[in-house]
Amino acid sequence: MAANTSEIKIRVGFGDSFRDLTVRIAEGDVPPYEPGTRFDVIGAAAPRLDAEAKVTGSARFTYDQNLPGLLHGKILRCPHPNANVKSVDLTAARAMPGVKAAISFPEVFRTEAVRFAWEGIAAVAAESEAQAEAALRAIAVEYEVLPFCVTREDAMKDGAPQVGRRNQQNVRRIYPEIPFTRDGTIDEKKEAARQVEMREAEAKVDRILKESDTVVQGTFYTQVQTHSPLETHGVVCTWENESLVCYCSTQATFAVRHELTHHQGPVRATNARVLCEYVGGGFGAKFGAGREGVAGALLAKAAGRPVKVMLDRREEHTTTGNRPDSHQVLAMAVAKTGEIRALRARSWGTAGTSPAGAGAHNDVMYELGEIDKIEYGVRTNANDARPLRAPGFPQGVFALEAMMDIAAASIGMDPIEFRKKNDAHPVRRAEYDIACERIGWAAKRGAPAVPRGGADGGRGVGPLRRGVGCASSLWFASGGGGAKVLVRVHKNGTVEVRNGAQDIGTGTRTILGMVVAEELGIRLADVATFIGDTNDPAGPGSGGSTTAPTLTPAARVAAHRAKRQLLDAVARAEGWDAGNLDLRGGKVVGRDGAALAREIDFRAACGLIAEDQIEVLGERPVLDKDHPNYGGLADTNAGVQCAEVEVDVETGLVRVLKVVAVADAGKLINPKLAESQVRGGVIQGVSYALYERRIMDRIEGRMVNADFEFYKILGAVDCPEIEVVLLDVFMGHNNTHVMGLGEPPVVATAAAVANAVAHAIGVRIHSLPITPRKVLAALAGEEVRG
Amino acid sequence: MTTGSEREDKGSAQSGVTRRAFLKGAGLSAAAAAGIAAGTGVLDSALAATPPLQVVGPGRRPITLNVNGSERRLEVEPSATLLDVVRGQLDLIGAKRVCDRGSCGACTMLVDGRPINSCTYLAIDAEGKRVTTVEGLAAPGAPLTRLQQAFIECDALQCGFCTPGMVMACTALLARNPSPARPEIAAAIAGNLCRCGTYQNIFEAVELAARRGAGGGR
Ligand code: FES
Ligand code: FES
Repeated sequence: MAANTSEIKIRVGFGDSFRDLTVRIAEGDVPPYEPGTRFDVIGAAAPRLDAEAKVTGSARFTYDQNLPGLLHGKILRCPHPNANVKSVDLTAARAMPGVKAAISFPEVFRTEAVRFAWEGIAAVAAESEAQAEAALRAIAVEYEVLPFCVTREDAMKDGAPQVGRRNQQNVRRIYPEIPFTRDGTIDEKKEAARQVEMREAEAKVDRILKESDTVVQGTFYTQVQTHSPLETHGVVCTWENESLVCYCSTQATFAVRHELTHHQGPVRATNARVLCEYVGGGFGAKFGAGREGVAGALLAKAAGRPVKVMLDRREEHTTTGNRPDSHQVLAMAVAKTGEIRALRARSWGTAGTSPAGAGAHNDVMYELGEIDKIEYGVRTNANDARPLRAPGFPQGVFALEAMMDIAAASIGMDPIEFRKKNDAHPVRRAEYDIACERIGWAAKRGAPAVPRGGADGGRGVGPLRRGVGCASSLWFASGGGGAKVLVRVHKNGTVEVRNGAQDIGTGTRTILGMVVAEELGIRLADVATFIGDTNDPAGPGSGGSTTAPTLTPAARVAAHRAKRQLLDAVARAEGWDAGNLDLRGGKVVGRDGAALAREIDFRAACGLIAEDQIEVLGERPVLDKDHPNYGGLADTNAGVQCAEVEVDVETGLVRVLKVVAVADAGKLINPKLAESQVRGGVIQGVSYALYERRIMDRIEGRMVNADFEFYKILGAVDCPEIEVVLLDVFMGHNNTHVMGLGEPPVVATAAAVANAVAHAIGVRIHSLPITPRKVLAALAGEEVRG
Repeated sequence: MTTGSEREDKGSAQSGVTRRAFLKGAGLSAAAAAGIAAGTGVLDSALAATPPLQVVGPGRRPITLNVNGSERRLEVEPSATLLDVVRGQLDLIGAKRVCDRGSCGACTMLVDGRPINSCTYLAIDAEGKRVTTVEGLAAPGAPLTRLQQAFIECDALQCGFCTPGMVMACTALLARNPSPARPEIAAAIAGNLCRCGTYQNIFEAVELAARRGAGGGR
């Protein structure tokens, strides 16, 4: 699309600093909002459109679909972490009471290999859940059980059991990427060249480390975290002939449809309609139909009745992905004056049976000088990684930000001064000052660690020690192409907005409605927004914080064109010049917003439409395939967080008292919902910093704490006070200036908490989560890992 | 870490024995068995009042449940939880099954006004009691409760999956404590998990509802 582009001048900036920027925009795009524009809907803290449905319990999630004749599907799980399935016998299960269908996974997915415990082996559908469970117990499976390893340490030992099959090694370099040829073998020539580059980088950084005034080093560990959405993965499937209707708890309705209709896939529906009006959380784990989705579709087909397959909590923890762990070794060269000269990073992460996604982004944000970085993925017999809110970032930033503090201390510089010295981002530079002021940085950082009862007014009381810490974040999401939004303006004055993507709790539904209402000069309440149905126009998966910046520009284009058509109709009827008309405050007004001689309200204007309705399909404008957006104020959006903690040095317990989160997401469509996003990200970050950790039983090879009693996620009692400061930035990447805000707020939190703990107790804990045991060990001069 | 005192009573009350009473009773008999004087002749009254054991089932049995003010005649497996019966047979889908073992609060309903985890509460134990689900707070078309309204205004929900449970736990809180302090709110929802991170908004919503409640009205 958009071979034709035109050059326009726009204004970008925030606060009281704006500047002109010349950008190219695609044909058919609308010029971005001007700073200083008086908005009626955008920027208002409107409640979510679906809030009432959610507080009354009438919001029907996938899990709530009770279709007539519904059968219940359950999946048999493999108890072995590494095995080959020799045979699956469903005969007895099929004969069990209430059973209507049964399928074998090795047959459906054409693989006999099971490489982590709790992988699916077979599925049945029965009249009741209890009958389905009973039938699972009647399935006879023969396994060839293989040796296994479930932790990074074990998988990296000499002679460790091989996790993958064929020639797959347990440890594989993932950055710099190994170049592969089309047939899957290593491209030796390219690899040799890469090796040379890597050696050169290493030598260069070696030199700088040797010559530098100060070199600091650190080794860091982070844990495996599971997504833990409250609604588990699952589907409710029903067939009408070859057409599949699939309610799916997903964050990517169209990807699910693609999977279920793909001609080489296991389901191969001629047609599929994927529905997801509400989804109970995803956080990156719900991008596909999953094996459970395929099972639901196939069982429903075999049974000729609707089937529900929803995972239970154990299945959710053990089979639907996670944030990989990490072992990171870092070295940083710093000049006395505070400039960072070089960074060396080596890291290992276990993603599960595939090494993909095990990276830790520990070389971001700051001007780090020369970088020598190598990352390895380590295969283990455990569930694979899936993107989890800012994949790779919280773990990498935890290590990097610790290094920033260590480096600052080594040259006697304040940690925030040190960051500012090495940070060129225009927004983040402003955010440091805001964060400092809100947390009371200068006073708290300067106070001595001794109990504050004393004359010197320190940071402690009895065994309690307080500290503050800082960390920053970045994110990239300005959205991409491929999405369309449908706007219908009916003759009776009602307005309809449709897109088939989903709202995972971020408020997509609401902000789409707001952008359209703003453009049409009406109230949000006058717009009906429909989402989560693949029969409507295509939309993105909700990942990488791309939904809002992808959809809002498309919605604006659609609404803008609908408006022009409506004003044409008015102009024709009244004999006016459409070019001089606009819509505002529910009325037709002049271009300058002035009232007209004859007042025509929105509804009356709609009555002048010649047909029944105006219908416009607005496509997300993109410059070209590789450049979905215009150049803007900065490539990334920015955030700074400061945390204050209190540590009990007798029990080792850490409490996070307060987190100040300064964030930007480009232009704010709805500050209330944006604030909620940030609060949620901070809470997940604190939870990751202090509580969450997947524990593997090395003997049985299974996850020990696949529940909510022993896999701790932060609860209300441990919730810190969170102060959110949002900057409204005219970013200049797309016509709404919107950037995503799903991932950014979770990036810095754990790092800020860890830095605050180090400040509070004077020793650093190099591994997450920061448990009481680690605190006490650190105070005793020992280090507990993992 | 997250043990609210409120939860002690929640998800118990089965067959007339509360968990607290049971624990007290168990402690008493252990002490007695060890030959330690058990105090001044106190036989725990709850223990003494426990009806003799009664065998129910196998097979479905008819029961009448009072749900949201109306009497519903149902046939249930004796092992069926209140949650599954209300969701499956009455299609009241507000309460969710998230952990199915009493650790998340997403299934919270009120039984005789007290919050319980309906995933660990047998349907047959709810006979003769008043069961209220989130759907029972405001009838369709009727105005929302002050608390529900405050949830909306304070954006105390994101994905919304925990929300019905949160609303029920906070409704029960406001009924027994019309102006709770923040730690009391936190304690009241200590057993309700929210993965999206709405806790602070919920605190604000309860406080807002409490403030408005001082003026009376729904
Ligand atoms: S589902 Fe009942 S407490 Fe979690
Ligand atoms: S709003 Fe999503 S779990 Fe609470």
